[in-house]
Amino acid sequence: MSDLRHLSRRRFLNLGAAAGSSLLLPPGLIRSAHAAAPLPAIAEKDAVIAFGHTGPVTDEGWTWSHDQGMKAVKAAFPQVKTVFVESIPYSADATRTYRQFVSENACMVFATSNYGDFLYDVAKRSPKVAFYECDGRNPLDNLSTYYVAHWYPTYVTGVAAGLMSKSGKLGYVASFPVPSVFSGTNAFLMGARSVNPNATMQVITINSWFDPQAATQAGTALLDNGCDLLFGIMDEAGYLQVAEKRGAKAVMWNTDIRRYGPKAYISSIVIDFKQYYVGEVKKRLEGTWTPSSTILPMGAGVDRDAWGESVPEDMRKQADAVREKILGGWSPFVGEIKDAKGNVKVASGKRMSETELYNWDWPIAGISGL
Amino acid sequence: MDLIAGILHTSLLAGGVLALAALGEVLAERVGVVNLGVEGLMALGAISGIAAVVTTRSPTAGFALALAVGFMVGMVFAAITVYLRANQVLCGLALTLMGTGFAATVGKAYSGIPAPATFTGVEIPYLSSIPLIGQVLFTQNVLVYLIYIILPVMLHFLMFRTRHGLNLRAVGENPAAADAAGIAVQRIRFWYVTAGAALAAGAGAYLTLAFVPSWSEGVVAGRGWIAVALVIFAGYRPLNAVLAALLFGVITSLGFVGQARNWPIAAPVLSMLPYLGTIAFIVVPVVAWHRMRQAMAAPAALGIPYYRDLR
Repeated sequence: MSDLRHLSRRRFLNLGAAAGSSLLLPPGLIRSAHAAAPLPAIAEKDAVIAFGHTGPVTDEGWTWSHDQGMKAVKAAFPQVKTVFVESIPYSADATRTYRQFVSENACMVFATSNYGDFLYDVAKRSPKVAFYECDGRNPLDNLSTYYVAHWYPTYVTGVAAGLMSKSGKLGYVASFPVPSVFSGTNAFLMGARSVNPNATMQVITINSWFDPQAATQAGTALLDNGCDLLFGIMDEAGYLQVAEKRGAKAVMWNTDIRRYGPKAYISSIVIDFKQYYVGEVKKRLEGTWTPSSTILPMGAGVDRDAWGESVPEDMRKQADAVREKILGGWSPFVGEIKDAKGNVKVASGKRMSETELYNWDWPIAGISGL
Repeated sequence: MDLIAGILHTSLLAGGVLALAALGEVLAERVGVVNLGVEGLMALGAISGIAAVVTTRSPTAGFALALAVGFMVGMVFAAITVYLRANQVLCGLALTLMGTGFAATVGKAYSGIPAPATFTGVEIPYLSSIPLIGQVLFTQNVLVYLIYIILPVMLHFLMFRTRHGLNLRAVGENPAAADAAGIAVQRIRFWYVTAGAALAAGAGAYLTLAFVPSWSEGVVAGRGWIAVALVIFAGYRPLNAVLAALLFGVITSLGFVGQARNWPIAAPVLSMLPYLGTIAFIVVPVVAWHRMRQAMAAPAALGIPYYRDLR
């Protein structure tokens, strides 16, 4: 089980299809990527840029955000040709799709979820093509990885949640016990505890990123058991609609979906890959592209959404002051931090590194059910 | 809210989808036709419901359109399986694939739009003031009463208390004998399969109009298949089908409530409950219904197209 906890959010999905084989990376894949020479420049009219998505671009969430990024690329470089494929399964079909992109003369291929070996297979045979893997962990000579530091805006919304919650009992609708979930629950509760030290969090795992019926039931069960504020990591708005109906509050993920529950909506962890995609395409066209590993910081790829109508002015100010502090370089993730069993995991005064935050795999004290 | 009331509340909501779909499947299977297209019909109903409610702002119109769409698609399915006598399993699978695919395509225009109006609770006087369960049971939306009380009781009466019901069961048990007795086998099959398809589509509309009030691709998430399993567990009887659906709702809610209340059972075990339940629904009839085999058995002619000229 402990191996599972090192899985990333999207990689977890690989398990089903690849039966875990994607975890066992051959040693040859893990090497330093900075030795490679830049890929040669390419004329804008000759460039084909391909996107491989894990869900439908209409999902109002993860894939939709990446699709917005592709549209921004198209707007910035009108002569570039863009292609995309939706709902690629985590199987040999992915390899086939990415190979197809290469045979259509793609000069850049973005995998917006971690397809692991299914992608590396293609990347290694196409050294002149720049590949990307979102939430990937193994850059190659021609493959970059990228993700978002969602734990900072999560902390900021956690502060607002701590101020808004009357009972101090927060509910969380989780997908799987993976680092994105742990860093989400932990950052949120730490934010809430900074203003209400007695705040606690109850987690329900529904084993899916997308199951509106299960998320609705989980949200209802949490509210029935004393929680008055819901957070989660779903690609849809199920528990926001529950909160709206029951007069509770909710913080969401991916995009602005306040129209599903305007009174309940506090904010979202919104992701935005536009700037990153445009910048990377520019490098490729200019001939300065080299592989990189990027975690987009708050303010440039991930942020809180504009506050919901029910968040009072003073609470917005208080939470935004924390946001400013983080933008100024302050980190809320400094020891001493204990896990749910009471063991000290981060020593007093020690600041957690970005890598540690990215790979967070234990719940902090005050969280139950995870 | 009290524990029992809380569990009942979520169970009623979740079970309603399954109950309505299962009732539709009972109708089809009782006259001898397996309809494996429930999943696809639910997807079609779900998107029809949301499309109508976005345009008209009336959930009743949404539910009506879903029934109509289910009725029309059901007529096509029934014509092919009953009159043309095509393989029912293959046609059902085709209907599922076509229904989910078509709904996803049409649904692109409707994803991300919350339902502007939904079925809201109706409080039944006196009954709703019963302590503990009154609030939960008798302040539900119209569809819940329809699904749990009105429809199953009506269908039960029709099937087991009327001559027409005897006829329709005869069609499922022994169509040749029914035919010889002057019953219009093909016509009865056609209309009951069609009506069953309409109910399945209605279940999809219940999903988007009362339970998860919005459309997104994959919203049905396999509940159609669970409904098919429930019908076997329920011994092809409408009242049992509704109780089985409610039981399944309880099992699913137990998983969530257990996690929310921190019961000392590992979360993965609680999450497994619906799947363990599905297996139990398949296994229990084989083992426990042994003695009641006569009463709970599948209609003898289930899945077999009827040819008069082969007799």
